[in-house]
Amino acid sequence: MTVDDWLAAFAAELRRRRVEPAALVAEAAGHLRDSGRPPLQVFGPPTAYAVSLVDSLRGATTELRRPPSGEPRLAAVKIVKRYGRSTILDGVDLTVHAGEVVAVIGANGSGKSTLLRICAGLLAPDEGHVRIRGTLGYCPQDGGTADYLTPDEHYVLIGAGRGESRGAARAEGRAAAATLDWPRSSETVTARHLSGGTRQKLNLVLAGLGDPGVLLLDEPYQGFDNGSYLDFWQQVWRWRDTGKAVVVVTHRLGELDRADAVLDLTSRSAR
Amino acid sequence: MSRTLTVAEMALREISRRRGVLILLALLPLAFYYSRRGEAYWQSVRFVSLGIGWTLSTAALFAGSAARAVEPRLRLSGYATHQLYLGRLAALWAVGLALIVPYFLLILIDLDQVRHGPVALILLLTVAVAAPFGLALSALLPRELEGMLVLLTVVAMQMMLDPDKAVAHALPFWFSREIGVYAIEHDAGSGHVVRGLVHALITLALFLVLVAVTSAVRLRRRPHVSMA
Amino acid sequence: MDRRTQWLRGVLDLCVLGALGRGESYGYEIAQRLEAGGLGSIAGGTLYPALLRLERLGLVVADWRAGDGGPARKYYRLSPDGAAALRSASADWAVFVDNVTAMMEVP
Repeated sequence: MTVDDWLAAFAAELRRRRVEPAALVAEAAGHLRDSGRPPLQVFGPPTAYAVSLVDSLRGATTELRRPPSGEPRLAAVKIVKRYGRSTILDGVDLTVHAGEVVAVIGANGSGKSTLLRICAGLLAPDEGHVRIRGTLGYCPQDGGTADYLTPDEHYVLIGAGRGESRGAARAEGRAAAATLDWPRSSETVTARHLSGGTRQKLNLVLAGLGDPGVLLLDEPYQGFDNGSYLDFWQQVWRWRDTGKAVVVVTHRLGELDRADAVLDLTSRSAR
Repeated sequence: MSRTLTVAEMALREISRRRGVLILLALLPLAFYYSRRGEAYWQSVRFVSLGIGWTLSTAALFAGSAARAVEPRLRLSGYATHQLYLGRLAALWAVGLALIVPYFLLILIDLDQVRHGPVALILLLTVAVAAPFGLALSALLPRELEGMLVLLTVVAMQMMLDPDKAVAHALPFWFSREIGVYAIEHDAGSGHVVRGLVHALITLALFLVLVAVTSAVRLRRRPHVSMA
Repeated sequence: MDRRTQWLRGVLDLCVLGALGRGESYGYEIAQRLEAGGLGSIAGGTLYPALLRLERLGLVVADWRAGDGGPARKYYRLSPDGAAALRSASADWAVFVDNVTAMMEVP
């Protein structure tokens, strides 16, 4: 492997992980020039080196991050969706592997939520199909909770569907909520009295109940304060590191570097 | 079975927390009852059953609308469609049964000129029909206001229309008038009861099918998704 | 993995801070300083992630500058926080080494 090949592979992997490669590549190239030694000896394989740099840049997941195990958990193939004359999704492909987080981005109306609902089987596409391995957890943008039930009752209700006992479902839900900076004693307040952010946290916890293999999250952090927002990504990474396939619909561009891959729907609809 | 019961339990908890609906449920039939108590006691039996039918349908309409947002998620969590609507129906029927007991006791104590067996039958059938009626409405009319207007219209027509007219037979609570005749008029034949019973059972079956079909369509698994 | 490499893993960050305590520098030169300090050859694949981590934590600051006539390089230097961290860590380290040494001495 020549120095140029190594640098090219390194840059490609950084770009795939949504890190601007120029500065890191220049620095590595400088080091190679100064030392005069082969890149594999100095830095190791380009992809592994890129991963460890990206981890250092982002922090927090250094110990947890693993490469995707390779098995595709969700495969949406050539999805087409039209509303009347306008084509919202025009042959969109989305593949998510076990242990991978994919961010779906795009302008308002670019079909992000539509794609997710199609993947969840809640909406039929005009063309294309979706293959899912394992069970599905879905967090809708809104309306995934019942106004007149408490969080505990939500856990029991969803848990019963998954075949869990009351006690187990409640314990699992409470434990998951605790990782999201859950306000004290909110377990016994009905959902309509929860703040918007707490409701969304409940929504998110419900999506993860019963250990689903595929998680579809539709902008689940609306109303989160900054701390909870970071907790949210910690949760997403925990899911990834236990081998789940995670799709996050988002309009916040700042979080792209938190995902392993990005599907941008804007460019498609603009084409 | 345990899933259906869990849905029923949660639906009961939801209804029990909607104070406005509960107060309406408890008091509106009473208002209906006393509006006719003085001059036409036989009317008060029919009015109380209409009041119960109306309020329970309304409660079912609200319960159905509230469930729309959550049901897709429950379906994805492993519930079968029939577990969802049967659980909700069971909860509404339980509420209805709890509701008619005091009204039956009231009639038992307050009115001694009527046949109390047929009155109990009227109340039971009203509860049986009202719950799926409200749920079917919520499935067909996505907005609660529209559903409320339809309910209002049905109850108003039920009160106004001459029950002998053919169009009155199409109203869901026509049976209460028919069985009511037997309960109140001592020379009336039991044919009224049979006709009322047949009407109630057909109406019930129709609404149950409507609820089952609309739920199955709304919550069907789309064929483009293959699960492995 | 030999024992020295394992030891180094725990204190590489501090050694890098120490190397920068001797004046601002760029990656390759930091590696040379560490080697000259008797720590052996430090692979780039270990050094740069450590530098990025320190930068993210605010213990070092970096900027790109053209060296004397050569290409632009990324120069790292200690931040006030980094200097403070280095001071407190080296005191802790001295105590730790004494304890380990005492522990390993067979009476």
